[in-house]
Amino acid sequence: MKKLTALFLSLTMAVGLTACGGASGETFTVGFDAEYPPYGYMADDGSYTGFDLELAQEVCERNGWTLVKQPIDWNTKDMELNSGSIDCIWNGFTVTGREDQYTWSVPYVDNSIVFITMNASDIQAKADLAGKIVVTQAGSSALTALTDDSEDNAANLELAASFAELQQVADYNTAFLNLESGVVDAIAVDIGVAQYQLTSREGTFRMLEEKLSTEQYAIGFKLGNEELRDTVQNTLFEMYKDGTFMEIAEKYSDYNLSDMVCIGDYIN
Amino acid sequence: MTIWGMAQQVLSGTGATLLIFFSTVIFSMPLGLLVAWGRMSRFKPVSLVVKVFISILRGTPLMLQLIVWFYGPYYLFGTQLSSGWRLTATILGFSINYAAYFAEIFRSGIQSIPLGQYEAANVLGYSKAQTFCKIIFPQMCKRVLPPVTNEVITLVKDTSLAFVLAYAEVFTIAKQVAAAQTTIIPLFIAGGFYYVFNFVVDFVMAKIEQKMNYYR
Repeated sequence: MKKLTALFLSLTMAVGLTACGGASGETFTVGFDAEYPPYGYMADDGSYTGFDLELAQEVCERNGWTLVKQPIDWNTKDMELNSGSIDCIWNGFTVTGREDQYTWSVPYVDNSIVFITMNASDIQAKADLAGKIVVTQAGSSALTALTDDSEDNAANLELAASFAELQQVADYNTAFLNLESGVVDAIAVDIGVAQYQLTSREGTFRMLEEKLSTEQYAIGFKLGNEELRDTVQNTLFEMYKDGTFMEIAEKYSDYNLSDMVCIGDYIN
Repeated sequence: MTIWGMAQQVLSGTGATLLIFFSTVIFSMPLGLLVAWGRMSRFKPVSLVVKVFISILRGTPLMLQLIVWFYGPYYLFGTQLSSGWRLTATILGFSINYAAYFAEIFRSGIQSIPLGQYEAANVLGYSKAQTFCKIIFPQMCKRVLPPVTNEVITLVKDTSLAFVLAYAEVFTIAKQVAAAQTTIIPLFIAGGFYYVFNFVVDFVMAKIEQKMNYYR
């Protein structure tokens, strides 16, 4: 039995080590949440696409890399990045509140967090959310904005305290199903995702004019990986200068993305 | 997008689900038999170690075990992971977890054979190995079939847990399609898939049980 156990364990190790060969080289592995349209999602033909993935594709083509689109579970994104199974997190990734945890590119999209309610709901402003049930994605920036207890976030904390309950679900689609079925009263969500839902199910939902917060999206690399960050960032600057960046953004104008691009402010 | 289109997308994960399912069945059953032997070993340290092994694997969530298998090599040994490891870790996690359950099922089967049969085999000059292979094992197989069917059916549904590693099997994809199309329908399609899959498993296992029903 002992010998067999030893044999089995060594086999396991062997398989593991073989599997751990490759990595990097000429590939560029982007970790993204495949349930986060329009930044990364499954297209009608079954392939992965989205604003961020199209940008990544163009960056790879210009550097001669092969793009690997790796869907990840958003809750374990840090483990994926640190363990090297992905090269960066590029998926509507919010910088605000995470400044020290990653090596960041410059922000390329200016994003805000908004509240969504049913069209027929009587909620009109943030104050009306008192005593209501609000839901958001676990590990999301909306959740951070509502729970971060640093001093400059006091107003949002107070707002969150006024809710009857702040619930968390694994992805925003579930949140919208919750809202539609009436078990929650509002969703705190990134504006890009909100636009996607508002457009695809017109007349069902409504966005509050008052925003929860404004924030920016950037690409997150493993701490200390400045080399890769600089290469990708410079390629993005090039793409912005020759118009390719905006061309890609225009494809997503339904979701207002072209108005949200802010990378131009950071080119020196 | 039409329901048919969504179904096609969701079912594109069928291969991945089948891969997890068959790999787990193929690896976990022999491993389960080994563990069962270890559990019944008269050499105390071995049976104790195996007892602890079974206790941990049955006592912690499978979802957590999958996460540990995938990220363990990095966090424990600092090994950089590659994309191939995602599938390997999924299959390792499932196989070893299910081996623990199968081990106890096999043990119940082996221990249900009356001691008198061992004595009779001994008198007839059978060696220990011959006794097990020719007399005990065939009877065990027949007796453990119903509980094994139970486990296999559970396994079909458990393959959906691979979503925590974002391995692109049916349930992972169903969730992604649901998000892209902003509808709940893909999840129902996935539900239908698992039901049909289990219907087939149930049918096949019933057939095997019938085939093994000789002497009755």
